[in-house]
Amino acid sequence: MKLLKSPRLRRLRFNLIIFMAVIGPGIITANVDNDAGGILTYSQAGAQFGFSLLWTLVPITVALIVVQEMVARMGVVTGKGLADLIREEFGLRVTFVLMALLLVVDFGNTVAEFAGLASGMKVLGVERDLAVPAGAFVVWALVVRGTYRLVEKVFLIACVFYIAYPISCYLAHPDWTAALVRTIKPSVQFNSEYFVMLLGLIGTTIAPWMQFYLQSAVVEKGIKVKNYVLSKWDVIIGCILTDLVAFFIIVACAATIYVNGHGKIRDAGEAAAALGPFAGRAASWLFAFGLVNASLFSASILPLATAYYVCEGLGFESGINKGFSEAPAFYSLYTSLIVLGALTVIWLSPEKQFPVILLSQVANGILLPFVLIFMLRLINRKDLMGEHCNTKTFNAIAWVTCGIIIALTALSAVTNLLPGRATVSGILHWLRWS
Amino acid sequence: MIYFTELDHTPVFDAKGELLGHLSDMVVDASRDPLQVSAYLIKTPQNDVLSLTHEQVQAISIQQIQTGVPTESVRPYAPDEGLLHVRKDVLDQQIIDVNNRKVVRVNDVDFDIRPTNGRTALRILAVNVGVAGIVRRLFQGVVAKRMLRFFASMFPARTIPWEFVNLIEPDPARRVKLRISFDRLARLHPADLADIIEELGRDEQKAVIESLDHETAAHALSEVPSELQTALLESIPTEKAADIVEEMPADEAADILQKLEPETSAEVLADMGKEEASDVRELLGFEERTAGGLMSTEFVFVGEKAQVEGAIEALRNFEGQLEAIHFVYLIDDSAVLTGSVALARILAADSKTPLSELAIKSVIAVEPHTDQAEVVELFHKYNLLTLPVVDDKRRLLGLVTADDVLEVVLGRK
Repeated sequence: MKLLKSPRLRRLRFNLIIFMAVIGPGIITANVDNDAGGILTYSQAGAQFGFSLLWTLVPITVALIVVQEMVARMGVVTGKGLADLIREEFGLRVTFVLMALLLVVDFGNTVAEFAGLASGMKVLGVERDLAVPAGAFVVWALVVRGTYRLVEKVFLIACVFYIAYPISCYLAHPDWTAALVRTIKPSVQFNSEYFVMLLGLIGTTIAPWMQFYLQSAVVEKGIKVKNYVLSKWDVIIGCILTDLVAFFIIVACAATIYVNGHGKIRDAGEAAAALGPFAGRAASWLFAFGLVNASLFSASILPLATAYYVCEGLGFESGINKGFSEAPAFYSLYTSLIVLGALTVIWLSPEKQFPVILLSQVANGILLPFVLIFMLRLINRKDLMGEHCNTKTFNAIAWVTCGIIIALTALSAVTNLLPGRATVSGILHWLRWS
Repeated sequence: MIYFTELDHTPVFDAKGELLGHLSDMVVDASRDPLQVSAYLIKTPQNDVLSLTHEQVQAISIQQIQTGVPTESVRPYAPDEGLLHVRKDVLDQQIIDVNNRKVVRVNDVDFDIRPTNGRTALRILAVNVGVAGIVRRLFQGVVAKRMLRFFASMFPARTIPWEFVNLIEPDPARRVKLRISFDRLARLHPADLADIIEELGRDEQKAVIESLDHETAAHALSEVPSELQTALLESIPTEKAADIVEEMPADEAADILQKLEPETSAEVLADMGKEEASDVRELLGFEERTAGGLMSTEFVFVGEKAQVEGAIEALRNFEGQLEAIHFVYLIDDSAVLTGSVALARILAADSKTPLSELAIKSVIAVEPHTDQAEVVELFHKYNLLTLPVVDDKRRLLGLVTADDVLEVVLGRK
């Protein structure tokens, strides 16, 4: 019989257990952020503008950390989901409108995930009509048939597969020094395409659903206030990892597609294919594999998160530890998001999918300001957060950050709605004259 | 019947027929009558809040509220923690549906409206948690009230009668004032209670655990996931935690203490009764994921020469949970396990029968360091209910029971 040895050893083991028990939500949420849409945006940024947008990753990471940290804190302190808190604070009508908008946004995103899956699989040699239904079934079954712990483990493994990007970037033999210099040294190009891209980068990084998902995941994990510091690190590490992956994608595409003057790409699979001639087959496959992994990963979390917070907000039973009969609304929502998302990709040609994605981006632009403002108001409530309210300094940072995100998201939504380039050049014009 | 949503923002007129303001909330004074609406809060056009007592109200309809008194006699509202506010404390909040053992969110509140002594009085009937309530909330003020009544009636209305509603107030002092108790929760099955606790927010969980008696709290706590177990135990005062852990079977108590922070765990142990603490300490020495880590020290044993009546005597004197006992174990003078007798055999036999005649002699047993996977295999292979754990000299140390094994199989341990 092995007895537990010294108290110090027990202490160490105990700390490790605690760490493993807390880690997860932050890293998973941040990684899902690099979904099919994200990979496409980063690929485009690299292919079209080389290293010149790399510097934006630093402020984006900071903004992401500021926002996500607050949500995680609310989850740990109150033990309630964000939708729950909004419902209790702002009433049913506000909650309902928010949820309806979120449903639209997330449906559009789910469609984008399945489209990403299809285009990644194409590079790997699997047809769309096989890949999409199979992928949809796998993500559906994982959540409906699996337990929370299993699901979380699978998700964490999916996070590890993002390693495909650094490797494929390495194979592209980029000029590392130049890439690092351009990351630290900001440089702005004053043309409309550059600005549209910049807005796209921000829009794809900070999404409303992430806030709901992270808070619910933190609550479901039952993390204690005392261990919050660890949870905070979970969030910070997650955000940094995410943007590291973004960095590698941009660099890979910059070192190959941009350098060779190929410029624009329309889907992420195209980026993967375009890597081939310059960085070799392996890089191309790894890139496509990363895309497939990211799409599947996000296609399971997005509908799940959506089902979670809609049910939470409207007071229906939710949670993957419950059966279908216990939480029918939850499972119906989850299933129909996946099925309809997959069907849209199979039935509609990419051009016809475009309005769906456009609509969801506009809804996103309307929604995000509300979510961020509600968050800031909730986290400053003494009766809710006690001593864990924002400090004055942090509040200032948070409001400024959220203000900038809101302004840029709104701008991005407007440029999406109106003929993009014209709007941005109009705005640039206006700036120059005023 | 009338709904809170319908009355919300209804205009209130004074005796002269002038507009006093609009209804903003309703108040129940639990110390006088737990069901009757005792006052109506009115927001005036100047944004002041007035409190109209129920005696001052003459008639209530979904169109308007008519008072029988002049404006001057309506008092301004003085906030009072001891009163239950329908909008603030009930609407949109989580409540426990004691009857269906669930946590639900309130969409609307139903009132019984009836004339008494020439005045209209409202009494709380039920809370509304169905889709009909959501529809009413969404369209109130947009669609005419009578139309909305008809429209909402097409959706399923799930209501919970007020007597089965358990409000959850985290503040203990206010809980007393509002006369909220969790007594009815104590009567639920511990597994249901655990499900309810899991659904609640942090403060609410703490409130429920703290107000339950130790035994019920211990049972409920055994059923919640281990992260939540430790979170809850660490959030309540150490003495209370010790009282609760004391009520748990020693093996579960040891499991929980192992997961608490070492300092907290030591404090809790120090606060526990001597006997319970020493049982738990013994178990704390065993590694997790082994037979030793799984076993409990609650078992019934007699000398190998005893008769049936001796076994029954031992059962009567047993202080642990009798429900968990399936076998009486026989030991020799040096405490070595020599046999086991099934409970049913003891019942069926004559009181003078020597137990050795009823016993199975070659008892399957394992040593404490045996891996839990192997333990599961043995349970499966031999269809066991319990498995004795013995030391290297075959002296009986404890028992692994089928429910412990089930936890392992389901991956909860």
